[in-house]
Amino acid sequence: MRKLHWTPYLLLLPSMIYLTLFFAYPMVASLQLAFRKDVQYLKLREEPESDAAETGTLAMQTAVAVLDRMRLEETLPNGRTRPIYWFRVQAEDTEGTTVEGWVNQENIFIESRTQSDTARIVTGEAAKEWTFDFVKRMVNDFRFGKALRTTILLIVLIIPLQFILAIVMGLVLQSGIRFTNFFLYIYAIPLGVSDLASGILWYSIFTQRGFLNSWLVELGLRERPFIFIQSGHENWMILAIVLAEVWRATSIVMVIVVAGLQGIPKDYIEAGQVFGANLWQRIRFIILPRLMPSLQVALILRTILAFQVFAVVVAITGGDVMTVLANETYRWYDPARFNNSNVAAAYAGFIMLLSLGISFFYLRTVRAQEERESQQ
Amino acid sequence: MTKKLSLLLAFVFLVSLFTGALAQDNKVTFMSTQFNVVEESDKAKAILAEFGGTADFVPSEEGPMIDLILAEASADEGTVDLLGALHGTFPTLANNDTLFDLTDLLAEIEQSVDVNDSFVELGKLGTEDYQYYIPWMQATYTMAANKQALEYLPEGADINALTWDQLAEWAKNMQEATGEPRLGLPVAGLFHRFLEGYAFPSWTGGMVTGFKTQEAADMLVFMRDQLWPYTNPESINYEFMSEPLLSGEVWVAFDHVARLKAAFDEQPQDFVAFPTPAGPAGRGYMPVVVGLAVPYTSPNPDGADELIKFLLSPETQGAILRDLGFYPVVSGVDTANLPEGVAIQSAAVEALTTAPDGIPALLPVGLGDRGGEINQIFRNAFNRVVLEGQDPMTVLEEEGAALQTLLDETGAPCWAPDPPSDGACQLK
Repeated sequence: MRKLHWTPYLLLLPSMIYLTLFFAYPMVASLQLAFRKDVQYLKLREEPESDAAETGTLAMQTAVAVLDRMRLEETLPNGRTRPIYWFRVQAEDTEGTTVEGWVNQENIFIESRTQSDTARIVTGEAAKEWTFDFVKRMVNDFRFGKALRTTILLIVLIIPLQFILAIVMGLVLQSGIRFTNFFLYIYAIPLGVSDLASGILWYSIFTQRGFLNSWLVELGLRERPFIFIQSGHENWMILAIVLAEVWRATSIVMVIVVAGLQGIPKDYIEAGQVFGANLWQRIRFIILPRLMPSLQVALILRTILAFQVFAVVVAITGGDVMTVLANETYRWYDPARFNNSNVAAAYAGFIMLLSLGISFFYLRTVRAQEERESQQ
Repeated sequence: MTKKLSLLLAFVFLVSLFTGALAQDNKVTFMSTQFNVVEESDKAKAILAEFGGTADFVPSEEGPMIDLILAEASADEGTVDLLGALHGTFPTLANNDTLFDLTDLLAEIEQSVDVNDSFVELGKLGTEDYQYYIPWMQATYTMAANKQALEYLPEGADINALTWDQLAEWAKNMQEATGEPRLGLPVAGLFHRFLEGYAFPSWTGGMVTGFKTQEAADMLVFMRDQLWPYTNPESINYEFMSEPLLSGEVWVAFDHVARLKAAFDEQPQDFVAFPTPAGPAGRGYMPVVVGLAVPYTSPNPDGADELIKFLLSPETQGAILRDLGFYPVVSGVDTANLPEGVAIQSAAVEALTTAPDGIPALLPVGLGDRGGEINQIFRNAFNRVVLEGQDPMTVLEEEGAALQTLLDETGAPCWAPDPPSDGACQLK
C-alpha cells in the first residue's frame, strides 16, 4: 500500500479555498440568478398570526374580497407605534376552489387599509423554481443578436491584427537593433492606460469636433467636419473601436510574446542559419512553433477579454446603437436602466459559456498540434 | 492574554455604544439619492445648515439605499431617519412595509403651505390613505436653444407653443442654412423619458395604453422621416445636453433641466429655454418627483418630521431652486432675484407645466422594482423603427406584447395620463 502524501494537497488548499470563495461561489450564485425564478405563493392562515394553521394557498395577483380586518400595533424601538393589519380574505385558488383565511398587510395591495373591500395578492412565501424565462428574454431581445454579432466581429478583426503586430513588435525588440529600449517604452505606454480612458481618447479623435476632423478641415480636405460616429455608420464605429482596442491591448500580447521569444535557445536559430534558412524560414519553422505555448496563453487571455469588451465601445459609440454582450449585461443590471439582474446574469452566463468554449477549443487545437509535432 | 483581549474588546464595545448614543442625540440622518455629486452635496449641506437641529446629509446611490433600508427593517434597528429619493425608488420600500404613514404630518404642513396635489397623490403609491412619501421637489424636461438658432425658427412659430412639426421644420432650416444638423437628443442619456413622457403622449394621449395604436406608428414615422434626419447623428453619444450646447455642436436640445443647467449657468446670455412641443393629442411632458419618507426603523422620527417641515418651507424650497435647480412643490416660493440661468429655466418649466394643452405623463407607478424594464421596451421601439427602418406596426406589436407581459406580471393598473383601470393595465 502506498502512503498517502498530504503535503501537495495542503499546498493546494489556500488556492482552492480562494478559488471556491471568489470564483466558484459567485459563479454558481450568478447562474442561479439566471435560471432560478422567485415564484411566490401566499398561504392563508386560520388566525391572524403568521404561524397559525394554513387554510389555503393563493397565487400572485389574485384578486381577493376582504371580509374582515384587524388592527394590531407594534411599538418600535424609536418609541412610535406602527400599525399592523390583518385581513380576512376570500378568493379562488389556482384549482378553482374558494378559500378563506387571514393575510398580513405586507402581502397584499389594498387601496385603503381601513375602507377597501377588495385587494390584490402581491407577495408571499418565495419558492424558487427553475426557469428559462430570463434566457428567453435575453435571446428574444432584438439587441441580443446585434450584441453577439458585434462582439464576434470585433474578436475576428482585433485578435489577428493584435497577434501579427505583437509578434512583429516582439521580433523588433529581440533583434537587438539600436533604440530597442526606446521602442519598448513606446510600446508599453498603452499598458498604463485604462480601457475607458483609451475609449474616451479615441472618441475625442473621431468626434465631430475631434482631432481628426480638425485636421481634415484645416488641411482643406473637407469643408466641414465629417460625422464618423453615428447610427448607420457601423463601419466607422467598428474601425474606431478596433483602433482603440488594438492600440490599448496589443502591448500585453507583446509582453507575453517577448517572454516566449526569450525562452527560445539561440542554438536553434543559429543552427537554422548554418543550414541556410532565411529569415522567413527561421520564423516559420523555428520561432513560431517554439512560441506556440506563449501564443496559446496570450490567445486565451485576449479572446476572453475580448468577449468582455465594454468601456471602449461605450465611450466611443454611446452603447445604444452599437452594443456588445458586456454592455447589454450592464444595461440590464443598471438600476437606472432596465434593472433586471436576472437577465443580466443570463448574459453573464452566456459570456462565460462562450469563454469556456473558446478556451477549450484553443487548448485542444494547440495541444493536437503539439502532439502531431512530437510524433514527427 | 485572552482575558486582556476580551477586556479590551468589552471596552471598545462600551465606548462605541456610548459614542453611538451621543451621536444619536438630536441628530437627523438624511440619506438622499439626489445631490450625490460633490458640488451638489456641498450646496445641499449648506442649505441644511439653516435647519435648527443637526442634519447629517448622506448622499447615496439608489440600489445601496434600498438594500440598506431593507436590511435595517429585517434587523429591526436603523441608522437612517429620512430618505430623499425619486418616486421610482419608493415602491420597493413600500411593498416591504418599511415606511411610516405621513398623512398626519402632511396635514400639519398643509396648514401653512399648499403642496402640489397631484404629487401628493403620487406619494400614496396608488393607495387611498397611506402617504408613503411627501413630495419634496420636482423637475422635468424642457427644450433649450442657442440664440443663434432663433433666426431659423419657422415663420409664425411661437417658441413657447411649438408643435412637433414646427420643431422638425426648424431643425431642417438649421441644417440647410448651416450645413450641419443642429438638433440634439440625449440618446446615451435619459432618452427613454423623451419617448415615454413626450413623444408617445403627444400623439396617443397616453403612455402605455396607446403603445401599439396607429397614432403611435404615426409618431415613429414622424421621428424617422421628419425629425431624425435633421438631428445631429452624434446624438447617440450625448448623455448631458449641456455639453454639446456649450461646445456649439448643437443649437437646439431636449433634456432634463438638471442636465441643461450647466449651459444656462455658464452662458445665460446665449441660451433660451422653452416648453417641449405639442403633437396631435397635446403637449406631453413628464414631471419628475423627488419625495421624502421616514422608515419605521428611524432612530429619530421626530427629528425627521421636523426636517421634512424645514425642507418644505418656502424659504428652503427657494434656496433649493436657486442653488440646486430643482423646482418647488409648494406654493408661495419667492422666485424674484433668481440667478439669470435659473430664472430662464424656471420660466420654461412654468410655461410647460401650465400649458393649456399639457398632458402630464407620470413615471410608472405600479411596476415596483421592474420599473426600469419599460425603458428597454420604449427604446427598442425607437431604435428598431427609426434607426433600423423596421416596419412600425410590426415592431409596436412585438414590443407591445413585451409591455403587456410586464404589466400583467406586475399587475400594474394604468397610471396617468392613461385612464385608470381595474386590474393590470391593458394596451389598446
